[in-house]
Amino acid sequence: MKVLVAVKRVIDYNVKVRVKPDNTGVDLANVKMAMNPFCEIAVEEAVRLKEKGIASEIVAVTIGPKVSQEQLRTALALGADRAIQVETDDEVQSLDAAKMLKAVVDKEEPNLVIMGKQSIDTDNNQTGQMLAQLAGMPQGTFASEVEVEGEKVKVTREIDGGLLTVSLNLPAVVTTDLRLNEPRYASLPNIMKAKKKPLETVSPADLGVEAAPRLKTLKVEEPQPRQPGIKVESVEELVDKLKNEAKVI
Amino acid sequence: MSSTGTAFDPQTLESLLTDGGKVLTAPDDLASYGCDWTRIYEPAPIAVVLPKSTEEVQAIVRFANEQHMALVPSGGRTGLSAGAVAANGELVVAFDRMNQILDFNASDRIVQCQAGVVTEQLQNFAEEQDLYYPVDFASAGSSQLGGNLSTNAGGIKVIRYGMSRDWVAGLKVVTGSGEILELNRGLEKNNTGYDLRQLFIGGEGTLGFITEATMKLTRQPTGLTVMVLGLNDLTNTMDVLQAFRNKLDLTAYEFFSHEAIQHVQQHAEVQSPFETEAPYYALLEFEAISDGVLEEAMGIFEQCVESGWVLDGVISQSEAQAEKLWQLRERISESIAPRTPYKNDLSVRVSRVPEFLQEIDSVVQKEYPDFEIVWFGHIGDGNLHLNILKPEDMEKAEFFRRCETVNDLVFGIVERYEGSVSAEHGVGMVKKKYLGYTKSEAEIAVMKGIKRVFDPNGIMNPGKLIDSE
Repeated sequence: MKVLVAVKRVIDYNVKVRVKPDNTGVDLANVKMAMNPFCEIAVEEAVRLKEKGIASEIVAVTIGPKVSQEQLRTALALGADRAIQVETDDEVQSLDAAKMLKAVVDKEEPNLVIMGKQSIDTDNNQTGQMLAQLAGMPQGTFASEVEVEGEKVKVTREIDGGLLTVSLNLPAVVTTDLRLNEPRYASLPNIMKAKKKPLETVSPADLGVEAAPRLKTLKVEEPQPRQPGIKVESVEELVDKLKNEAKVI
Repeated sequence: MSSTGTAFDPQTLESLLTDGGKVLTAPDDLASYGCDWTRIYEPAPIAVVLPKSTEEVQAIVRFANEQHMALVPSGGRTGLSAGAVAANGELVVAFDRMNQILDFNASDRIVQCQAGVVTEQLQNFAEEQDLYYPVDFASAGSSQLGGNLSTNAGGIKVIRYGMSRDWVAGLKVVTGSGEILELNRGLEKNNTGYDLRQLFIGGEGTLGFITEATMKLTRQPTGLTVMVLGLNDLTNTMDVLQAFRNKLDLTAYEFFSHEAIQHVQQHAEVQSPFETEAPYYALLEFEAISDGVLEEAMGIFEQCVESGWVLDGVISQSEAQAEKLWQLRERISESIAPRTPYKNDLSVRVSRVPEFLQEIDSVVQKEYPDFEIVWFGHIGDGNLHLNILKPEDMEKAEFFRRCETVNDLVFGIVERYEGSVSAEHGVGMVKKKYLGYTKSEAEIAVMKGIKRVFDPNGIMNPGKLIDSE
């Protein structure tokens, strides 16, 4: 069976994000970029399905500027067979991303789409759900366990106070949660082999989608800095502060 | 020297501390402040004093001279040579409360710190200024600057940035005779005779105590990328180092054995770098400032595989991965700590490492057939940590006795290779009797003479580094 994995280039999880002085967004100049951590988990899950003999082909897809090919090469090094880049320098919001992915799904006809539950840059958590709706596929979101059984996929989801297991007819969309797996490192020999794997570039226009942002960012601000703690001299002072300043007793 | 003067009175001492310093005498405090990471000597200090200022340290030193009391400095207590152990009724001077960053000058790129500033605190401060303090090691979260400098700490970035010594622009010290000296005052160039600053760096508190340090900072590295390589053989570590060093500026080159990784993985959830099992591993780090640098690194990797030195390898794809790969190396010490490791910290010139390694390895295998050996080290600096783990059913005393018999063999090899019996851990009490393998009698005699000049009454950390006469 064919698996389509969507990956996104985002600011490196470890980088301390700085807000631009004019509050229009975060500063991305000379900042390390990497594959979205949830997308790494999606790639890993696809590779495991292939290692189990369930998946026969893994196609990685990304939407973004030319440099986002780096993340596709990483996916190829981790075990994807080929890659598709939807190249655009425009801002692509969730619904447009879902429409572009829908066009790729129409063309590739995968049996399973695996993607991260959200990207750590905008934290929208909706592209997977939108894609499922547009493509008319069932969805298993926040997956902590994925098991393909014949024409069905069983997805275990972590919900408040327990686990919910759903069974979906294939083809289906699965979005990954943190505990699904621990992604492997890309090995150097595989990184070199990945350079020779096919990578196709298409434009949004080729897919018949025009990016049209519906949301406007008004302002990005740093969170309020935390007040530093103080040491009190006596129990009486502590009680007084709890009563009169914090007003908790 | 133990306390031999009039009976020690904590209140008299505390009355001298006019800036808010404190004296502790509770048994728990004595036990924790009286030792470092070594577990060979039982801590038995008479009291612990926590000064707040250089003037208070001076008052303590003067008091100790009058009372004929021995002083032991205490920082983050992460030392591995018992340099900060008070086992003979000494007064411990702990710098925990002197933890302020006093001043920062952006155009000089220097920062003035009290001795009790924690290494990580300085690293974070530098980062907030878009700068970098490059001395780094596993204990950076608790070790203090004063201790780092008194032991001239090294760590994992020495190959690129040097030792702690290289980052000191100035020191304020209180000598054993109670003088306050301000040494070098932050100058880059200052050729006015003896550079006394250098005597206190690595002096292990035997001449005086460092109370403030002015440290240099540098630009932040960009795009730090980590590779972990599986190696076929111990000597390949140097072939691989040469291959990379010829073309790239490495910021780190570490090595460790498979046993080391196994201990880390039993101790914590740390992922294997790759499936191929290799007897030895090298971790190297460099600044991937451009795609060209990455291409170059890949090319060197290929060459190392073709030469049969390297079995497999991974490269970090993100900073998070780089950090995870570093854990393979950084968590070794803590993972073997429960096994009471006997730690050797040897160094030779880099060019002599391959032969040296082979000789040590064969001696160790012959002499310790029943002991588990864990190798790791900053091999790019010629520095090896040879750790011998205590068999679980062996008594501690018996284990250390057997380790010491082999020491003479190991240190004999070090001496022949003109190496050091303590590359970065210092001498303290643990390595004192082996100093002669690295320093000549004449050198040691000069050291003792210097000690007498700064500490005429022999009260500063006595019994560490050298025996005073």
